Amino acid sequence: MREKILIALAALAGLLLARNLYVMLLELPDEAAQGAIYRIIFFHVPAAWTAFAGFFVALVSSVLYLIRHNLRYDALAVSATEVGLAFGAVNLVTGMIWGRIIWGIWWTWDARLTSMLICWLLYAGYLMLRRAVDDPTQRARFAAVFSIFAFVDVPIVWFSIKWWRTQHPGPVVWGGGSMDPAMYQMLFFNWIPLLLLACALVMLRLRQEETAREIEALRRHAHAL
Amino acid sequence: MDERNFLYMFYGFAAAWLIVALYVIALVRREKALRKQLDRLRHMLEHQEKKP
Amino acid sequence: MRFFRETLAIAAKDLRAEMRTKEALNASLAFALVILLLFSFAFEPTAEQTREIAGGLLWLVFAFAGALILNRSFVRELPNDCLDALVASPVSAGALYLGKALASFLLLVAVELVALPVFGVFYNVRWTAQFWPLMAVLALGTWALTVIGTIFSALTVNLRLRELMLPALVYPLLVPGLMAAIQLTTPLVAGQPLGPELYDWLKLLAGFDIIFTALSLALVETILVG
Repeated sequence: MREKILIALAALAGLLLARNLYVMLLELPDEAAQGAIYRIIFFHVPAAWTAFAGFFVALVSSVLYLIRHNLRYDALAVSATEVGLAFGAVNLVTGMIWGRIIWGIWWTWDARLTSMLICWLLYAGYLMLRRAVDDPTQRARFAAVFSIFAFVDVPIVWFSIKWWRTQHPGPVVWGGGSMDPAMYQMLFFNWIPLLLLACALVMLRLRQEETAREIEALRRHAHAL
Repeated sequence: MDERNFLYMFYGFAAAWLIVALYVIALVRREKALRKQLDRLRHMLEHQEKKP
Repeated sequence: MRFFRETLAIAAKDLRAEMRTKEALNASLAFALVILLLFSFAFEPTAEQTREIAGGLLWLVFAFAGALILNRSFVRELPNDCLDALVASPVSAGALYLGKALASFLLLVAVELVALPVFGVFYNVRWTAQFWPLMAVLALGTWALTVIGTIFSALTVNLRLRELMLPALVYPLLVPGLMAAIQLTTPLVAGQPLGPELYDWLKLLAGFDIIFTALSLALVETILVG
């Protein structure tokens, strides 16, 4: 059953992606100043949204773990965080490539880029923390606490684009930026396949957590014998 | 269609998908390792239970 | 009322223990001064350059020197099972945390108050022009360092690779607060008053302090007890 859902999600994501690529490359008009490269935005921005969605799911899951003490929530937290990190990396790298072309620089320490990189490093620290704890219950507890602390950074990243006039382009989605409506729509429309893909990856990762727990149980059984 | 920066756009797209692909590969590798461990343990347990 | 009495008792205990050996204090102070001196020696910044980097330099020095104090906060309770005793005692986890944070805060501020005149001398900076606003920013920024350093000292006290984990977890989390402190300190050290363009940074720093203090107090019991 789960296999079928996974394949369905991936297939749907693929189809939407194909359709979007078609529209992106052939139908949407070019941007006046940048040429073709601006189309990176349709992956750059939704990737960030997907990453934040992942971190938010991790937050909720962490809180639920601390309340209910069910290790499944811990599994969901780590899965969502890992997938969030992957899409966060997509955001950072596409941003760097775009920046190199448009501004001539790979990086700058403005508020937006700094806070996004820090956010990424923070959640990478979450994964590192998990590796430092052996006992599953203690690991889940510490990781959950850290996830709650880490999420405080996410609103800062989100609002940094609004609060600080920086190198990074101003807000387009809210805050009165101007963007061609067709492009605007595509921004959201391309988010859907990325979210579907993220869900599929989280499901895959969740299954691995279950397998890991099964292995733990078997190992204890083997010890007992 | 504007040819300017077309190549760079592809680099950008490629980078995005490369990262996702790398993560999927990491997941698949981990899956294989876990499955191997699971089978080994199961095998070992069966072997032990068969002993008198 | 009892909460504050417990907090002060824990803070007094930590301070008294630290004053006996002055281990962390001396290490932190020495480290701060060495960095300041080495930096001045290595880069020989001009007056203009110093004015630009003052905030960044000072807060980096405080963050690294502070790590030496903050790391010890809960680690000092490891020998003789003192940590278990404290957790089992009637002192609430929140009071334990706040007391330790307070003690570390006072120690770190002491280090900073020595480092600032040294900075003034070796970099030829008259930093006392905006003394009280600078002190306010110092307090807020140091509290940010302390709040996060102490809670993660509690989290990592029993972990493998504690020496690596604490900085790796703490520094990314600190960045928004540190950035605000730096942006506020640079103009203040240069003698400019706290104008309205800096209010956003002040709000960020204050908000950072409040949010993380609240979160830490809420979660410290979970970390220490389960």
